Amino acid sequence: MKSKLSPRRIVIGVLMIAVCMIWVLPVFYGIVSSFKSEVEIKDLNFHFIPETWTLDNYKYVLTSTGNTPILKWFLNSMLISVITSFGVVLLISFACYGYTRLQWKGRDKLFYTILAISFFPQIVNIIPLYKIVDTFGWVNRMAAVIVPALAGVSNMFLMRQFMLGIPKTFDEAARIDGASEFTIYSRVIMPMLKPVITVIILFSFTGQWNDLLWPSIVYSDVQKMPLTPGLQLLMGAYGNFYLASILTAAIVSIVPTFLLYIFAQKYFLQSLSLSSGVKG
Amino acid sequence: MSIQEQSVDRKTGIKKGKYIHLAFIAPHLLIFIIFICVPIIFGIYISFTKWDLIGQPIWVGLDNYKEILLNTESTFNRQFFDGIKNTLLFVVFNVPLCIAVPLAFALVLHMRPYGSKLFQSVLYLPTLFSVSSVGLIWMQLLNRRFGLASLMGAKVQWATNMPHAWVALMVMTVWWTMGSNMVIYQAALGGVSKELYEAADIDGANWIDKFLKITLPSIRFQLLYTLVITIAGSFNVYGQPTIMTRVDPAASPAIKVLVYYIRGIAFGSGQSAAGIASAMAVVLGIFITVVSVFQFKLIRSEDE
Repeated sequence: MKSKLSPRRIVIGVLMIAVCMIWVLPVFYGIVSSFKSEVEIKDLNFHFIPETWTLDNYKYVLTSTGNTPILKWFLNSMLISVITSFGVVLLISFACYGYTRLQWKGRDKLFYTILAISFFPQIVNIIPLYKIVDTFGWVNRMAAVIVPALAGVSNMFLMRQFMLGIPKTFDEAARIDGASEFTIYSRVIMPMLKPVITVIILFSFTGQWNDLLWPSIVYSDVQKMPLTPGLQLLMGAYGNFYLASILTAAIVSIVPTFLLYIFAQKYFLQSLSLSSGVKG
Repeated sequence: MSIQEQSVDRKTGIKKGKYIHLAFIAPHLLIFIIFICVPIIFGIYISFTKWDLIGQPIWVGLDNYKEILLNTESTFNRQFFDGIKNTLLFVVFNVPLCIAVPLAFALVLHMRPYGSKLFQSVLYLPTLFSVSSVGLIWMQLLNRRFGLASLMGAKVQWATNMPHAWVALMVMTVWWTMGSNMVIYQAALGGVSKELYEAADIDGANWIDKFLKITLPSIRFQLLYTLVITIAGSFNVYGQPTIMTRVDPAASPAIKVLVYYIRGIAFGSGQSAAGIASAMAVVLGIFITVVSVFQFKLIRSEDE
């Protein structure tokens, strides 16, 4: 049955190819334009494909220093996002063990209270959060963007849903063998979390890599800031002069999350069905 | 349960009692309290004070709220109403679009056309990219003088001209964000029982009936979940209008949302009016909370 050619599936497939071509057009346009020279990108006689291909923009992005250290911003972002994702996975899996595998009074109430509070708009926290971060001496430091991100609750919801789906018999067997709760967490539960951990790494890495508002507030030091506020700064200061180079920096900035997505794709839908609350 | 409570840890000799869960939840809870709960309370307090982010906040009661809501002479009042107008417009346009479009795509992909895996990846792709980068690309793309828009014979600068800027903003936002809702719907549709559809086929139901009476009710939880997330996210909109709705990269954006003003008032150049900014944030927060609490109750009743 399945191997038979279905006309409906072909027609929809062809239509979807057209949609997808439109969908990738902006990104494709950005990539192609990054090979144009600064003169050509501002040429009023528009050509989609560059008349002369040049790597100058990439050279600029990789070598620029001084007030526009693009490569450094990139590395700052990388470090921040990697630390955040691993921190989130550790902290949240640990917490969710307490919220799912252990029985205690008020457990679900507390979890839902946390969830409800987290729905409160971020913008109200941002001004006081700046003061708190400033008090800790974290302005212009990575801790300012990493530590508050560890409290993220949306990933916690996903992790909790996944853990609820693991049968209790695993822990009970280990408990009868005399394993401590920490051993059960690290040896029994943790290894089973691979799919959800992969997706949480994708989400928290992407979230941190792409965040704009908060980093643009806590970073004023050009040498220390991550890529997104850097790009914004670049655009405000040099947007009219180095358009091609800035566009190229934008293209370079989308590479890491893209690669991570390809890597995580296998587990993607599987875990999302849990994030949206389908009972496991 | 009984095993857990009575057993004794062989290594430490500590009776596994009622408090072991605290060790697990405490690290997260501590960070949550310091970096989320405290700032919320502090933020609400600040909204009743005059504060420049540096000195001591001075209690002024409801003055900030009066200033932004009632004092029509004040710049803050004008900024607040311009910001809230744009933010509400964004919510009104964005929420239906970011539910309907991804749902439509999920339904199409659910028919399993050849290449559906690839289509899913392509449609999801833009959500991976930062608003800085996609905003830059779109700003460039829409440029009437030397962007892709020039090829299509654009008569106006879509990024800044009203109402074109709104169309451009919504197209870009749907393009950029709809992937995350789409995959949630895809996963949900995968879980709908096939037997229901087969039974409906036997009864001779048409596809509209099946959609309204089987599909939608079966994925209602996911619809509700995405609705909450999308509404809250839309109220918090900042990046897309701020980066994309301009032609001159150094100019201020054509569509200024409330978060843009709040950020400017609290952290912009010149003296900070953090109290005023906090009052604006609290009003925005009340909007979001009222909507979220209502929906959150629905979610909870579904989950239990």
